[in-house]
Amino acid sequence: VVLRPGEDLNLPNAVITRIIKGALPDGVNISKEARSAISRAASVFVLYATSCANNFAMKGKRKTLNASDVLSAMEEMEFQRFVTPLKEALEAYRREQKGKKEASEQKKKDKDKKTDSEEPDKSRDEDNDEDEERLEEEEQNEEEEVDN
Amino acid sequence: MAAAAAGSGTPREEEGPGGEAVAPPPQAPTGAPGARLSRLPLARVKALVKADPDVTLAGQEAIFILARAAELFVETIAKDAYCCAQQGKRKTLQRRDLDNAIEAVDEFAFLEDYLGLSGHTQSNQMNS
Repeated sequence: VVLRPGEDLNLPNAVITRIIKGALPDGVNISKEARSAISRAASVFVLYATSCANNFAMKGKRKTLNASDVLSAMEEMEFQRFVTPLKEALEAYRREQKGKKEASEQKKKDKDKKTDSEEPDKSRDEDNDEDEERLEEEEQNEEEEVDN
Repeated sequence: MAAAAAGSGTPREEEGPGGEAVAPPPQAPTGAPGARLSRLPLARVKALVKADPDVTLAGQEAIFILARAAELFVETIAKDAYCCAQQGKRKTLQRRDLDNAIEAVDEFAFLEDYLGLSGHTQSNQMNS
């Protein structure tokens, strides 16, 4: 893991501070130096977890990091206690994404219906392929290859 | 900075050292509406992931989980550092509390090389 100087891999101070204060009892403060160190530690954590997760992806002969790679990385890094809350967060995230997808699909269908009222059957078929499409779309969204 | 209410105009008593007048921190970062404020931006996490030369692609779910894991990590390390501060009977977390937590907790060993914590730094000695 190499942190190149000048590269801004910092996480926003405001969010870090909120998370810290949320974890501590009321009335407890944190010095700027401690907060800054925690912020950097969090960046290092992400870098380390990414590297670890990537090993699992490579073992699985996949080029794309997925959620289970990250969960495996947590266990590998001895942060098993994170696994359950992360799984719950993942389920909630998936439901939310599905909801968003369905909402935007519905909007599209409504829009199509208005302009062209001749394809009610086609849209039915699209429903079945929804999951596959979603996966592909997600892959494409992340296709910003790193020029290393 | 602790009592810098003058000029901000807000009647809030609690003011973080960062001087940000924000709503009280949410207690349940598991999905409660107020927890949105304690979410790390996915774009920044994605930038970190892309910094790894060995990583080709990362799915959206992976980025999301990494962000959540980082949030949990911040909570965890803050709490562990606080235990050290409590022993010193202080109400402000200092850098050295973090150093102590990192040394004491095995899971944090990966941080030792990256935060310059192997020795005593000048700032440590100046802070009391």
